[in-house]
Amino acid sequence: MPKFLVDNKEIEAKQGTTLLKACLDNEIYIPNLCYLEGIDPPSVSCRMCFVEIEGERQPVTSCSVLVKDDMVVKTDTPAVRQLQRTGLRLLLSVHHVDCKNCQANKKCELQRMAKFLKVGLKPKGLERHLREIEIDRSHPFLDYYPNRCVLCGKCVHVCREKNGQSALTFSKRGFDTVISFYGVRDLSTLECENCSACIDICPVGALALKVTGAEDPTTA
Amino acid sequence: MNDELTPEEKEALKDVASKLGSFEKQRGNLIPILQMVQEKLSYLPTQAIKVVSEHLEIFESEVYGVATFYNQFRFHPPGKHPIKVCLGTACHVRGGGIILENFERKLGIHYGQTTPDREFSIEKVACVGCCALAPVAIIDETVHGHMAPSKVEGLLMRIEIEKEMEERARIKDESCG
Amino acid sequence: MNPAGNEKIDQRFNAIYKEAEKRRNEFRDAPVPKIHIGMATCGIASGALETKKAFEEALDEYNIEARIHTVGCLGHCYAEPVVVIDHPDSGFPPIFYHEVNAGKAKMLTKLFLKEGDPRFEHVYGAMEENDLIPWVMEFARFNREKRVVMEKCGYIDPEDIYDYIAAGGYSTLVKALKLSPDEIIKEVQNSGLRGRGGAGFPTGRKWELAKNTGEQEKIVICNADEGDPGAYMDRTILESNPHQVIEGMAICAYAVGAKKAIIYVRAEYPLAVTIVTKAIRQARELGLLGESVLGSSFDLEIDVFRGSGAFVCGEETALIRSIEGYRGMPRHRPPYPVQKGLWNKPTVINNVKTLASVPPILDHGADWYREIGTQNTPGTAIFSVVGNVVHAGLVEIPMGVSLRTLIFDICGGIPNNKKFKAVQIGGPSGGCLNEDFLDTPIDFDSLTEAGAMMGSGGMVVMDEDTCMVEVSRYFLDFTQNESCGKCTFCRIGTYHLLKILERLTRGEGEDGDIELLETLSKDIKAGSLCGLGKTAPNPVLTSIKYFREEYEAHIYEKRCPALMCRPMIAFYFDLDLCARGCDACATACPVEAVFTTSNRKKGVDQELCVKCGECMVVCPPEYDAVRKVSPPHLVPHIEKPPEKKKED
Repeated sequence: MPKFLVDNKEIEAKQGTTLLKACLDNEIYIPNLCYLEGIDPPSVSCRMCFVEIEGERQPVTSCSVLVKDDMVVKTDTPAVRQLQRTGLRLLLSVHHVDCKNCQANKKCELQRMAKFLKVGLKPKGLERHLREIEIDRSHPFLDYYPNRCVLCGKCVHVCREKNGQSALTFSKRGFDTVISFYGVRDLSTLECENCSACIDICPVGALALKVTGAEDPTTA
Repeated sequence: MNDELTPEEKEALKDVASKLGSFEKQRGNLIPILQMVQEKLSYLPTQAIKVVSEHLEIFESEVYGVATFYNQFRFHPPGKHPIKVCLGTACHVRGGGIILENFERKLGIHYGQTTPDREFSIEKVACVGCCALAPVAIIDETVHGHMAPSKVEGLLMRIEIEKEMEERARIKDESCG
Repeated sequence: MNPAGNEKIDQRFNAIYKEAEKRRNEFRDAPVPKIHIGMATCGIASGALETKKAFEEALDEYNIEARIHTVGCLGHCYAEPVVVIDHPDSGFPPIFYHEVNAGKAKMLTKLFLKEGDPRFEHVYGAMEENDLIPWVMEFARFNREKRVVMEKCGYIDPEDIYDYIAAGGYSTLVKALKLSPDEIIKEVQNSGLRGRGGAGFPTGRKWELAKNTGEQEKIVICNADEGDPGAYMDRTILESNPHQVIEGMAICAYAVGAKKAIIYVRAEYPLAVTIVTKAIRQARELGLLGESVLGSSFDLEIDVFRGSGAFVCGEETALIRSIEGYRGMPRHRPPYPVQKGLWNKPTVINNVKTLASVPPILDHGADWYREIGTQNTPGTAIFSVVGNVVHAGLVEIPMGVSLRTLIFDICGGIPNNKKFKAVQIGGPSGGCLNEDFLDTPIDFDSLTEAGAMMGSGGMVVMDEDTCMVEVSRYFLDFTQNESCGKCTFCRIGTYHLLKILERLTRGEGEDGDIELLETLSKDIKAGSLCGLGKTAPNPVLTSIKYFREEYEAHIYEKRCPALMCRPMIAFYFDLDLCARGCDACATACPVEAVFTTSNRKKGVDQELCVKCGECMVVCPPEYDAVRKVSPPHLVPHIEKPPEKKKED
């Protein structure tokens, strides 16, 4: 088993483990959103889990690195924090911060990272850009909140794991990218009613069960 | 999204369904299939997405997710006379944006939209490779180089006049026949 | 390969070559004039189809027998449609005519082909050295170029494989098939060829990695997903000489041990798709592709995949995803495609120019190639030089030539007596360089050092009337729009950059914006997943570095020094110069913003004006009365007479 140093602490992990997982397993927190064991190759898309490894010129994402003997890793250098703080500020700049009305309040990964990185939830300097659509109600059982979503893709993955293919998908591109349930009404084979895998995995409360009895014409 | 297909579109969709047989049920065929559908229908109506998803045995959401990623695919029918304004670098430097604005103003629509009578639609396109002719606009299939704001009205008027003449000729034909 | 096998390959190819030679000689020796017309996309856009039709009709009308030979593009876009007329009986050498529209075509048919008068006023130059007409090789636009990749472009018919073969085509494939894969890879390595897609990775090394993976099945992909706005050399090469690319692919496939190859072409290039598809079919018919190429034990199938319009698919891992039928989102590297590529097979992805460089390298040898260009980057570079430059078009030059030579000597400098301001190199991922860099030699390393990059070879020359803030905004608009949306920094970061730049060009900049742009840019570069995000801030960073005072003028004075940002400028007519009764501007104005003053001169209704500048274009030069100012409040007040009531 490779042995290596993280923030001067000696750690051991099985060959083939990602550095991020090894750290998390050893109670060294590294901010992350898109990492999930089993997503192979890892999506490496949230760009939060940066660390510095001796011998590398720049911070690298720890979810895309496998543990190696004698690695020397630092998780809290100024360069790492700079990138993580900017990344978080960017995510928050497109996030509708309304924690007390959000189901993820107090278990939200954004809150956790903000506290850890000492970044205000309403960061100064960047303008806020929210999408016009606050809630996508096109799914019979679920609601989707684009202004909460961080596009980590975990929901797409767990749905595919459970159903063979995913009823959720990324759609559109770039800044407009959203999670979509296009055509989901016809998927009678899916058991969304009894499954809440996507809701459970969402780190930020962007997916929620439809509130029954809510005034919503699409659920009628 | 306009869900109703015109009779011609329904015919084209049948044609699409029969053409699908020549594509193996492989995920790698998704984009070539979507390209074929758009060649036949000039856009991807919801009905076509359904047909494609059934053929490849993947969810509609998958098809939609892929189709919305690429610039090439449209989800609304284009106008009878599609107008494409090049905004490649050379055209931009020479005022392509002003040309685009003029088309938008004259037709009262924004790029990405179709006029209510379905006659015209405006699109922005990346370099069409006629940089020496910048700025360039393409109406139907014809490339118009060295565009100027004052040329816009004339070009649109020419199409209107042609349409009117065809109309008159048709009426004349009918009354004679 | 055994000697008997080699003999068989030679035999097969000689038969094909004989046929090609026969056809060429038959064409060449036919006692009639030949008309060569450039028919690539740019030529067609300039009216080459009408030109061709006009020639055909005129030949008919005057009852002249001549052969029309459709060829690809010479790269002289400023001169399109280009026609070369070879009329031996006239006593003149083959003559290059430029901007040959239908009228000129008809006139030349009558006066030159029928009556023997070449009409000197329309002659651009002669294609051969002679005593009568200046040889084009005496012009810098021709003689400073060094054509390796584009050597045959514009001289052969891209739709006729025999034209290519008669010009020496496919003989290098024959040579390659008689060498071992290792020998080929060694030769490519020795040549120092670096990938022409932008990153400059050593090609031979890439091939060696793929060959040594030990996997059975390998794939070769030609990346022709040329998406940079303003770069079109890959398209031109595919449209003008597709077989050189196919030959390069075949050699690559043989060297790395692949039986399958794919050309990934942008869907926006319909003509390139048609021509390449046809070329593959012709090559297969002659046994140059398919099973047992030229009777050897090497099999190769090449397919064409049409991209669907996503700039990010030029990135190799995104390109692979899109062929597999998914959203073209890049993934983390390693693993690199040479290890795990398309369908998880080792995949070599090379750019069009890289592959098209291979046949000349194997033909003339690595030493020959090394003598072209610089120590670190041997060979040639192809640039599409566009923007404010006299002789816009494609230029192939040895690496190491200075920007000054390229822009001023070869491309004729800046038109309309304007001053050079900046050159943007490498498209949306590149940077804007100022005058101080004009003597920078062009190669991968020196451009990167300057903050620009070779990229795909797009080069936009900008004169003093170009606003650098606006140019940055333009490029960010492009990259932001083309960001795949996967990673945080590119998806959200470039959006912020764009929004800030949009504010600046609207005159709504604030103190601190420059610093914010700089910090965000640096973090986006360091934090993004793929090359698109890592390079997207380059236009911003370089323009701030070299043109900071322009940003400051936008923010602190609400002034656009180049008079380009429309919300910050205004037009007016200098009443001392404006001609009484002239209506040129009023007629041209698309929004009726021009009014007539009480003494029959012109004024601009600033409320209506959309600042398109058309009045400035049409104002007769003898008056030259239109003035442009920034900030807009500098406009003098000109009284608008009360509107007359409309008479019903």
